[in-house]
Amino acid sequence: MFRNSDKMRYWALILPALAIMVTFYIFPVLGIWEIAFTEPTTGVGNFVQMAESSAVRTSFILTFRVAAITTLGCLILGYVVAYAISNFAGKLTPLMLALVILPFWVSVLIRSFSWIVLLGRSGLVNDTLRDTGLIDSPLRLMHNEFGVLVAMIHVMLPFAILPMLTNMRGISDAYVKAARGLGASEWTAFRQVYFPQTVPGVMSGALLVFVLSLGFYVTPALLGGGRVLMISEYITYQIQEFLNWGLGSALSVALLIATALVLLIAARFVNLRSALLERK
Amino acid sequence: MTDTTDFEAKRDIADIAVERYKQGRLTRRGFVAAMGALGILPALNSKAFAQANEIVVVNWGGTAKDVLQEVLCDTYTELTGIPVVVDGSGPSAGKIRAMVESGAVVWDLCDSGAGSAIILEQQGVTQPIDYSIVDKSKVLEGTAYNNGVGNYVYSYVLATNPKLLGGNVPQNWADVWNTKDFPGMRTFRKSVRGMLESATMAQGVPLAEVYDVLGTDEGIKAGIAKFRELRENIIVWGSGSDSQNLFLQEEVAIGNIWSTRAHLLKDQMDEGSFNVSFNGGVIAPGIWVVPKDNPAGTEEVMKFIAHGQKPELQVKWLEMIGSGPINPEAAPLVPAELAPWNPSSPENLATQILYKDEWYAKNQVSAEEMYVDALIN
Amino acid sequence: MPLSTFRIFFQTGAWLIVAFLVLPLLVVVPVSLTDTSYIGLPKEHLSLQHYVNYFNSPEWLHATWTSIWIGLVVATCASALGTSFAIGCWFLSDKASAIARWVLITPILVPPVVQSLGFYRFWVKLGLIDTSAGVILAHTLLALPYVSISVFAALANLDRNIPRAARSLGASVWQTVLAVIVPAAKPGILTGFVFAFIVSFDEIVGVLFITVRRVTTLPKQIWEGIQDNIDPTIAAVATLLVILTLIVTAIGALRRT
Repeated sequence: MFRNSDKMRYWALILPALAIMVTFYIFPVLGIWEIAFTEPTTGVGNFVQMAESSAVRTSFILTFRVAAITTLGCLILGYVVAYAISNFAGKLTPLMLALVILPFWVSVLIRSFSWIVLLGRSGLVNDTLRDTGLIDSPLRLMHNEFGVLVAMIHVMLPFAILPMLTNMRGISDAYVKAARGLGASEWTAFRQVYFPQTVPGVMSGALLVFVLSLGFYVTPALLGGGRVLMISEYITYQIQEFLNWGLGSALSVALLIATALVLLIAARFVNLRSALLERK
Repeated sequence: MTDTTDFEAKRDIADIAVERYKQGRLTRRGFVAAMGALGILPALNSKAFAQANEIVVVNWGGTAKDVLQEVLCDTYTELTGIPVVVDGSGPSAGKIRAMVESGAVVWDLCDSGAGSAIILEQQGVTQPIDYSIVDKSKVLEGTAYNNGVGNYVYSYVLATNPKLLGGNVPQNWADVWNTKDFPGMRTFRKSVRGMLESATMAQGVPLAEVYDVLGTDEGIKAGIAKFRELRENIIVWGSGSDSQNLFLQEEVAIGNIWSTRAHLLKDQMDEGSFNVSFNGGVIAPGIWVVPKDNPAGTEEVMKFIAHGQKPELQVKWLEMIGSGPINPEAAPLVPAELAPWNPSSPENLATQILYKDEWYAKNQVSAEEMYVDALIN
Repeated sequence: MPLSTFRIFFQTGAWLIVAFLVLPLLVVVPVSLTDTSYIGLPKEHLSLQHYVNYFNSPEWLHATWTSIWIGLVVATCASALGTSFAIGCWFLSDKASAIARWVLITPILVPPVVQSLGFYRFWVKLGLIDTSAGVILAHTLLALPYVSISVFAALANLDRNIPRAARSLGASVWQTVLAVIVPAAKPGILTGFVFAFIVSFDEIVGVLFITVRRVTTLPKQIWEGIQDNIDPTIAAVATLLVILTLIVTAIGALRRT
């Protein structure tokens, strides 16, 4: 199909980026595996310590729980928005789309900061509730799992909405119309005809949100009050507080493997290619 | 043996100074004096020194480094003609050892901790303190080591917000664990340092026996269990300013925090909404160490250290930053209104224990792990 | 169309959720106008002191400028490398190039803390810690996936017969790329450039690991502000950034319609 010399030229286009990625990214990330097995002593000591530690186990369970709840929350909320944008043609629909994309451009750091301002003990939410007489003493909205979950759903929501939107845009309304024509109610047509067609989009969104949530650091670190210690924060804790690179690296390896497993399992339900590689 | 030096505490003190300096609360002279007392700059106005080429004092940097370079070193050079370079790169035990072993020593004086000082002495990379120049009686008992000597102190103290508590303020650690009579959130450090001691006292263990009890596995487990019991009421602080924030935002009503941060909070909080008790506090010293073969010579550095012991400098520094004089002679010079805030006043010393680095060297790693588990599980 | 409960449910629900997405971004506005020296609502009157502080603070301005120029360099490097990469892959479209594309998007999947550990250890060896070059290199790597994905997406609609025609008319590979492919990929390259800039401009975890004092980006300054000093200047900065984003989004939306 190609002449060989052409092929060489195409590879010449690919190679600079690929070489940099392999040398300065893949290689250093693999280097973490080496540290995990060699510091402070050679062997699997770090992994033994990790497996025996109930703090590590708790942190992993917590991480998966937070990621799962975040994913679920994002899917439910995201679905409603994606559905409204793709199915109700109105003057305000483009505005809604713009508003969904807007938070995407504001950094996670600032969004987390906003939630600190909102959810604090003397934050906006508590102040308003108190001023209106709804509560007497402030509610605990932050420095716990609740606060982390609210902020994480907020941060991750666009990641769930966009793949679902892409998917819904490709769905012809002919089927729903046909079902309605045959006498199905709006709800029934939605449940039995429309929803099944959107499952691939839902799955893509779920995968994206779940994988990103697993490794999330900024929001839990800022809103968790030190007690919602997800794995990423646990890793930095080991390294910054105790200079314990061996265990920190072993935890990183475990987190990498967990992420890879999630992707492998997801590959059975989701078209990874369209979910990740051909994302728009 | 692990290095138990509390890097965070070191950095924090330097940061407070800079913060105050920026707020204009600390005059330039005050800042210089405070830094001098902190041990970052050994001396001012002193003619006691023979001309050394240059003295390199190493601290834990943070935002302090640039300001130190500009404000402090240049001023000092003006006064004595001796150039002083402050290196803020953090003199960890590992770095000091590597420097001495490589034979290329560029540091003269390092702000370290007792844990590191002991390890470094065992490894033979630091010099003995010359107690004919440095006055052993001018440091708190227990902070004069062969190869290291105290330079200042800070405490882990019981801080409270009487306004949030309705005037009903916990008097001791047992009260802190009593959530029925003292409702509200508490804050503890994201590390067992200075924390496990308070949990042990909360069980009714007398001051003098705290480290004996913690010397056993059961003692540690009992302390950890106390945190597990209290954890729904705990928010954790990571950095000194974190703890300060939690009080300012009224996120917590009670906390075990550094006295240096408490010193800032007493000025920042409204009248009657901040209180500190040194009852059951844990007092921790910073320790000077001098690397072997330091370029400025042994004598110069010893004179530096001796100068930093001067009571008036130490008091000045307490006024400015809130860290305590290591020199007991300084206590009478402390203005009356500041005395209650001085970690090393005789009254406050009587109700506190000295942070025990040996215990941390032996038990910290396993205790930290149990602590995290207790807080999150 | 008649209003059914079904529609009302989705319509109201969607707007409520959009409000949940957007409104929290705006809370930084009142906080930025506080007259207190800590983060909170204005107590007695509105004050611009924290904006004044931002514009008078060498640290904040320097951090802002650092983030902007590093972002621009990163966006340029990543766009050049990523575009070239995506075009090569588009031409080949074989198994090997598909694998290469997977390799290039790994930074999206690897947790930020994990990759930052990797950076840190390797950057120490290379002497890149606390240098702008170190940050640029790290950010370029993190931005590459976004550029290659968006350029590839732009090329998806390009008819493969067009470059073939160009070749059969005697154009070399390079001429074809420059004259035919790059113009077709232009929207994708632009999107990629913007993405790359934003990735670098917002990146925090990597910067926390690979810089110490000499290099401070805006997110790092904000992070330290939240963690260390009690400083409502952060709210002022956040407000400026949110407003800037609003304006840019609005202009983008207006130009499209």
